[in-house]
Amino acid sequence: MSDPNAHVLEMRDVAVHFGGRGGLFGASGQVVKAVNGVDLTIGRGETVALVGESGCGKSTLSNTIVGLQAPVSGSIRVGGEEVVGADRHKLNDIRRHVQMIFQDPALSLDPRSTIGATVGEPLKVRGVAKGAALKQRVGELLTQVGLRAEHADRYPHQFSGGQRQRVVIARALALEPGLVICDEPVSALDVSVRAQILNLLVALQKRTGVSYLFVSHDLSVVRHICDRVVVMYLGRFVEIADRATFFDNPKHPYTRALMSAVPQADPVVQRGKERYVLSGELPSPANIPSGCAFHTRCPLATEICSQVRPELTPRDDGARVACHHA
Amino acid sequence: MSVEPRPLLSVEKLTIEIGGAAVVDDVSFDVAPGRVMALVGESGCGKSLTSYAILGLLPAAAKQTGGRIRLDELELSALSEREFRKARGKDISIIFQEPSASLDPLTTVGSQIAAAYRTHNDVSQAEAYDKARQMLADVGIPDPDRRLHQYPFELSGGMCQRIMISIALICSPRVLVADEPTTALDVTIQAQILDLMKKLVSERGTAIVLITHDMGVVADIADDVAVMYAGRVAEIAGVHSLFAKPQHPYTALLLASVPTLDDAPKADLATIEGRVPTPDEFGAGCHFASRCPLVTDKCRIEQPPLFDCGDGHRSACWHIDRMHEIVEVAA
Repeated sequence: MSDPNAHVLEMRDVAVHFGGRGGLFGASGQVVKAVNGVDLTIGRGETVALVGESGCGKSTLSNTIVGLQAPVSGSIRVGGEEVVGADRHKLNDIRRHVQMIFQDPALSLDPRSTIGATVGEPLKVRGVAKGAALKQRVGELLTQVGLRAEHADRYPHQFSGGQRQRVVIARALALEPGLVICDEPVSALDVSVRAQILNLLVALQKRTGVSYLFVSHDLSVVRHICDRVVVMYLGRFVEIADRATFFDNPKHPYTRALMSAVPQADPVVQRGKERYVLSGELPSPANIPSGCAFHTRCPLATEICSQVRPELTPRDDGARVACHHA
Repeated sequence: MSVEPRPLLSVEKLTIEIGGAAVVDDVSFDVAPGRVMALVGESGCGKSLTSYAILGLLPAAAKQTGGRIRLDELELSALSEREFRKARGKDISIIFQEPSASLDPLTTVGSQIAAAYRTHNDVSQAEAYDKARQMLADVGIPDPDRRLHQYPFELSGGMCQRIMISIALICSPRVLVADEPTTALDVTIQAQILDLMKKLVSERGTAIVLITHDMGVVADIADDVAVMYAGRVAEIAGVHSLFAKPQHPYTALLLASVPTLDDAPKADLATIEGRVPTPDEFGAGCHFASRCPLVTDKCRIEQPPLFDCGDGHRSACWHIDRMHEIVEVAA
């Protein structure tokens, strides 16, 4: 990284909108405000969870960080370097510091490439290593994720789902990135394999000091692996807190509803717990409700909620919450 | 499980083979009216094939080679395809994981629900629509009059799953098979759908066979649980008994590998080493032998029967008396 003291990621007031002008179907399209005025900082070796329902903008936000999507406004700094407005050459240089792991490893691997070629490709493309050195580095990476160096000659179909996700992780770590964005990295895996991959991610972080942005809807996984939690609703953050504060004292009514909705793997706890079931569904991001976007589903909503949008405000315990009543 | 009404659905020694390998092997369980039986297991354990066999929907490559499935006095596994068509939807019904893949994109949801009703009832289209409207209200869809005339793409995933449930239940079947019904949904919507299923079970006395891999969902809704591993039932018990005192190493490790709100952050989770064997790797003994911390020579040679551990709790393990060792491994 260019500046070893800079945060791994610093986002200021980032907004990503879709449609609205021009486009295939003319100028009349609605503007979809997928991400709207988001600030986020991730420190070295930190794991931040990004939590929310489908359509809340969490994938758009991830794509924007890796440069797959351009924001309409705001600033994104990776290791101190500005991504927004950077030229192609510069962007290429920055991108090696941010890698991504997706949900389904079967869809992330080229079925016709050996996993050695897949894991070694970023090293080759960047000119980091070639020949015998490349082969050795690939072997090290595979060993690091719990596979064996001789696996390099095999193809993805010869591996199980969990092993394939290990290959994807090895590829993501090849360039020693400062930040890895993990988009639901274990939700496509079987339960017994999930624990193996979570253990691996934790062990790799301890060894390399990599930071994770962990996109997930599974709060028990989030609690297990994350240092800080961010809850997103219709393109905005509604609560940010340290793990302990977040789980001991959730404040935003949406956060509390999410927690209540995750079924606990214990029939006594699950059937005894206070239910906080949300009515209705996520409104369309093309038509975000006025004031607080959550007021249409919120059990605490009053008149002010539909008129004035609450800002994220700090609380005594360090949490920041966007709610008039929490 | 000790005191319960006469079973409505009874699966006895069901065996299904694909290419000569028993992918479902000697599986038995009963479901009583108004009860939820969960079949739990990882991919490839045979839970979905078992559920398809109940509906007579086995893929062409799979053959039922043993056992029988009875719904009350009706022997489902002896029905011809023609006879099965009469039973499906009316006596026994199914909802799948991905509602958007199960609905016809070119037909309004009202007409799809009405068609399901008219298949088994000789009524006019108008009467069928009335029934559909009422059904939509029952599954908690607001403004059913407007929704009836919409297409699936106009509805959200949660709404489409409610439509699927409407189609499955409009003829008041006695048994509903739910194959991962909430896996594709967000947690807040999952909670709504599970609550809806609980309400239907208690109001209508429908027996539910729930296929899932999510122990949280099992803890929420199931009365009884059959844990399946590599084609066989590893353990079967009432839900409280199973979670409180698992009697099979696989179940115990599976439960320990799920992160809970009590364990220390970033601490190592219990894992099950290795992977599920494929059918051509099945040995003569216990299928879990290759991954089991309690394994002995006997396990590799001889298949354990389901032993009774009391109170209807049964486990297919030679070493139930050593289960305390697993608790130590997991902790």
